[in-house]
Amino acid sequence: MLEADVEIDRREFTVAVTLTVAPGERLALFGPSGSGKTTTLETIAGLVAPGRGRVALAGRVLTQSWAPRHHVPPWRRGVGLLRQDPGLFPHLTVAQNLRYGAGPRPDAQRLAGIADRLGIGGLLDDWPHAVSGGQAHRVALGRLLLARCDALLLDEPYTGLDAGLRRDLTELVRSVVAERKVPAILVAHELAQAQAFADRLAVLDQGHILQCGPPDEVVRRPASRRVAELVGYQGFVPAPAGTGLAGTGLAGTGLADTVAGVHPERVAVGADPGRGLVLTGRITAARPAGAGWEAEFGAPGGTMIRFFLPDRPETGSEMAITLLDPPLFGADGAALPHQVRA
Amino acid sequence: MSTPVLAGQPAQPAPGTPRRVTAGPATRLRSVSGVISVVAAALIWIALLGPVITLFVHLSPSAIASALRAPGALSPLAVSLESGAVTLAVLIVLGTPLAWLMARDRLPLPRLWEAGVLAALLLPPLVVGLLLVFMVGPVTPIGEALAHVHLSATNTFLALVIAEVYESAPYYVLGAQAAFGGVDPRLEEQAGLLGDRPARVARRVTLPLAAPGLAMALAVAWARAMGAFGAVVIIAYHPYGLPLQIWTSLQETGLPSALPFALVLLVVALPLPVAAYLWSARARGRRRD
Repeated sequence: MLEADVEIDRREFTVAVTLTVAPGERLALFGPSGSGKTTTLETIAGLVAPGRGRVALAGRVLTQSWAPRHHVPPWRRGVGLLRQDPGLFPHLTVAQNLRYGAGPRPDAQRLAGIADRLGIGGLLDDWPHAVSGGQAHRVALGRLLLARCDALLLDEPYTGLDAGLRRDLTELVRSVVAERKVPAILVAHELAQAQAFADRLAVLDQGHILQCGPPDEVVRRPASRRVAELVGYQGFVPAPAGTGLAGTGLAGTGLADTVAGVHPERVAVGADPGRGLVLTGRITAARPAGAGWEAEFGAPGGTMIRFFLPDRPETGSEMAITLLDPPLFGADGAALPHQVRA
Repeated sequence: MSTPVLAGQPAQPAPGTPRRVTAGPATRLRSVSGVISVVAAALIWIALLGPVITLFVHLSPSAIASALRAPGALSPLAVSLESGAVTLAVLIVLGTPLAWLMARDRLPLPRLWEAGVLAALLLPPLVVGLLLVFMVGPVTPIGEALAHVHLSATNTFLALVIAEVYESAPYYVLGAQAAFGGVDPRLEEQAGLLGDRPARVARRVTLPLAAPGLAMALAVAWARAMGAFGAVVIIAYHPYGLPLQIWTSLQETGLPSALPFALVLLVVALPLPVAAYLWSARARGRRRD
């Protein structure tokens, strides 16, 4: 079990994070750049001392800012950190890099086993500059696994790699975390990466965790408008009582200033009042996006909604769309209680 | 079987090595500015190497032999080698930590520390020699303290080492600072997270990675220590090292008797820098990415 309850003062704001990760659990710390994600990881790794707080791993107190004070140095923590730069030692071969943290007499069989497991068995005699980016990341992971690694911290390690490679490496780390039963935290500023890795998602903004839960729930039921913005909701439309939320159980709440979040991937063409909020408006523009089209839809009230369609829509045409089971927010920005459709 | 290559057509580069469009030597000579830059480069190269060529032109083997066979001729060589070795030891022990702290910005008022090193580099050696007399001479507090333990920092081996340290230290410290600065701190951090305490990180990561640059810095410092003259002539006229021997030979018997010592000085001063250069060039080439 990895527990962290830390406060780190930064120039603009204080990072105040409380989190608990069970052995074998994968937590994604998701948030915009500069929200304090990396600082949190570095505090857990012992590279940054928190102004106030406590970090404990498997019952061992690593950091405690009050009596009895503790600050276990990074080299005695047994916390593995992977960054975007694999950080292989350029003066050592791949095999020597793998053995780096394995102690004076590393188990040759174990090394060979891990190298094979990671698909780098054929590279052992190569120099780091001669291996590809993806291979270098595999070596970096193997090096951690051979060292003492009681917790795995990933600071956007696979950003910048192509999508296929990123998927393979993420899958590899997932299985390794499951096999080793270590707590793992991934820092990500792209939602897709966080979702691909984690079984729990924590949304961090300005140093505070706004919401923490299963990735699906966080995206479908953001706790606030700010969380909704961070997880990809592109706008909000008025959702007064009786506008077609009959099936959602919210019809007739009677609240003014209620808005519904618009997520481009949760829009269906056509009026389907049973599935969500129906809006009518005009397609104002369309452009190719991926294998389909991205349409711009002008809703009444001037709100612009972007969503995806498989075929090219006719610009200027009037149409109805349904926001599927949208999250609703009150005037204060907090989510309104949302009953699941019967 | 290899593909036939048409006459006059360059062979295809090996797969995976894209041919870059850069100006080769031939292209460079086709423009006026290209010709000017090549001529300028050649001029400065010849001017820099000229003295070495001249030395070999003007030396005859018999002159060298007779100069070196003169009584006491080899003692300046011994003095230079011994003082140089002690100087290097002092630089390694005292200069390396300073260079590392400066490279990692671990010192308060970093500009002040740098200014101290630069002062030793920028002050004319003669001036340093004069100031050293006022600092460690017999009638100064330091001189008196040394006298208590029966040492003196004027005209002694100790004085020679002090003067050589002053003349060579900035070259070593600045070179070593650059060498440490070239080591990615993230690698040291990673080594720490893999379980190495700082001293082991230094031994296993920092020093091996900085080694080529450190060797170059040490080699340059050695060459400076071997050739130190300005500060030496004032504070350590005795015992004679090679530069002083050259100077007095020149004063007493003229140019021809000084030349063989000049050659000896080159022979002892140069091999270490050349070896260090070759080794560091090889080491850099191996881990280039």
